[in-house]
Amino acid sequence: MTRLLVALALAGATCYATVASSVLLGYRGEPGVESKMLATAMADIVPIPHLKVDAGLSFNLFQNNGLGAAGLGLGAVLFRPAGLTLRLAVQHQQWNDWQAGENRALATIEAGPVFGFEAGFGVARRVSVFDAGDYWSPFVWSSSASEWNYVYRLTWEFRQKESWWLKAGFSSYDLFTVHSPQQFPLCLSGSYALKDNLDLVADVGTAIVGYSGGLASFHELTLNAGVRYGF
Amino acid sequence: MGSRRAAILCLAVLLAFCACEWNLWAIATRKTVEQRVQENLTGQPPAPGPVPVNPDSFRFAVFGDPQVEHDNVNNLGRFRQDVAAKGIDFFCVLGDLTNDATADEVDSIKLDLDRVGIPCYVTIGNHDLFQADGWERFKENYGPSCYPVVIADRIKLIFLDTADGTIGSTQFDWLENELQDSRFIKIVLTHYPIYDGEEPIMWRIASPVERAKLQSLLEKYGVYAWCAGHIHGWRHAVVEGVNHFTCGTMVSGALDYGTGKGYLLFTFVHDSLSWQRVVFE
Repeated sequence: MTRLLVALALAGATCYATVASSVLLGYRGEPGVESKMLATAMADIVPIPHLKVDAGLSFNLFQNNGLGAAGLGLGAVLFRPAGLTLRLAVQHQQWNDWQAGENRALATIEAGPVFGFEAGFGVARRVSVFDAGDYWSPFVWSSSASEWNYVYRLTWEFRQKESWWLKAGFSSYDLFTVHSPQQFPLCLSGSYALKDNLDLVADVGTAIVGYSGGLASFHELTLNAGVRYGF
Repeated sequence: MGSRRAAILCLAVLLAFCACEWNLWAIATRKTVEQRVQENLTGQPPAPGPVPVNPDSFRFAVFGDPQVEHDNVNNLGRFRQDVAAKGIDFFCVLGDLTNDATADEVDSIKLDLDRVGIPCYVTIGNHDLFQADGWERFKENYGPSCYPVVIADRIKLIFLDTADGTIGSTQFDWLENELQDSRFIKIVLTHYPIYDGEEPIMWRIASPVERAKLQSLLEKYGVYAWCAGHIHGWRHAVVEGVNHFTCGTMVSGALDYGTGKGYLLFTFVHDSLSWQRVVFE
């Protein structure tokens, strides 16, 4: 990890890397489960051609206070015209009040944007950690409640103007989360250019659950808004 | 895709849904778990009381999903034989009593459960809500969908309503309150599993965050077991000292792990609780 950060820093110092960082405030609610504010920082880095790195930290406020999630992804661009990328990622999430945590590893194939569409598909290993002494550790990769999940993403940038765009679709994973196969997550995101290299960004998401056999309900709500700066 | 093709596709999907016996309007407008739980907590209808058993030695069976259809094929007749042979005092059914919740199915499973001849506790499953009057019929026949029962002053059975694949805020508070009672061995009985193995299946409680909170509560309050149905097979895992059972079913067919029909049998003797799986040959 340290070597990777050093390499990224060196790439940035040589002005070769392109870097975009975001800072967001948000909310996540799930009836009966949690209702909390989020403070999130993320960075997307292209240190060398054909390599994409994304990383971030998210903090919980008012419930499960403290570090909530961390994520690191590495993407190898296999075919630039279609944006075909092999992405490997690790995530850590924790809920301090419950003394519960979860570490995840993802392998996905992603493509796009092509005609405004972006898609991804892959698998995730979910390792739930409930041990009071270990739940906070991102290095625990075995548990009596581990499971495999498949992950998927399909979004469409359906409005694009000179200074703003809107994107909608479904996505079962992002830098910090992996939804389960029993959830059908929907998302809407947008961006508005405030000035050169500075964008106002926002997203909203929900998930349909319980649809086995026809019953379905919206279960969770996430909202984020902030700014994104490109270096 | 042209608009004509899209219209034909929509029509085909609509016809496919109309061909089944589910009442789609009822599904769309049904009472949510939050509304059902709030009704339950009014105390009307009253929750079933504790059954009389020998406090030093008793047995009870747990299974899910009789899921009878119009032909009323199930294995409760086979189970009735075990009741006498194994000395089972009462049994618990973890939802999906019927496949489509039609009046015929509801009446026939009620009759079959009564015919077993020993007391029975029931909670609700998603299939029990597939008609407009699904919840009303369930209440009429079995009472509330979430309630606690203390057996012989030894074991507390906590029946939860997870028919929507989620717990809901009121029921979460209620559950934590019920779990805080440290006098008894505690078992949670409900329709959806929290954890049933590593495969990426679609039949667990949906939200990983909800599952993390639930597991955390079960561990914190020393719960002996979470017993679930929904999947028509048998699974057992121990997560941080909590047994997670997918208990088996009285029907064969879809969603079967290939583990056969059967049930989970608990035996309480001299302050010690043990379990075994019973498989129908």
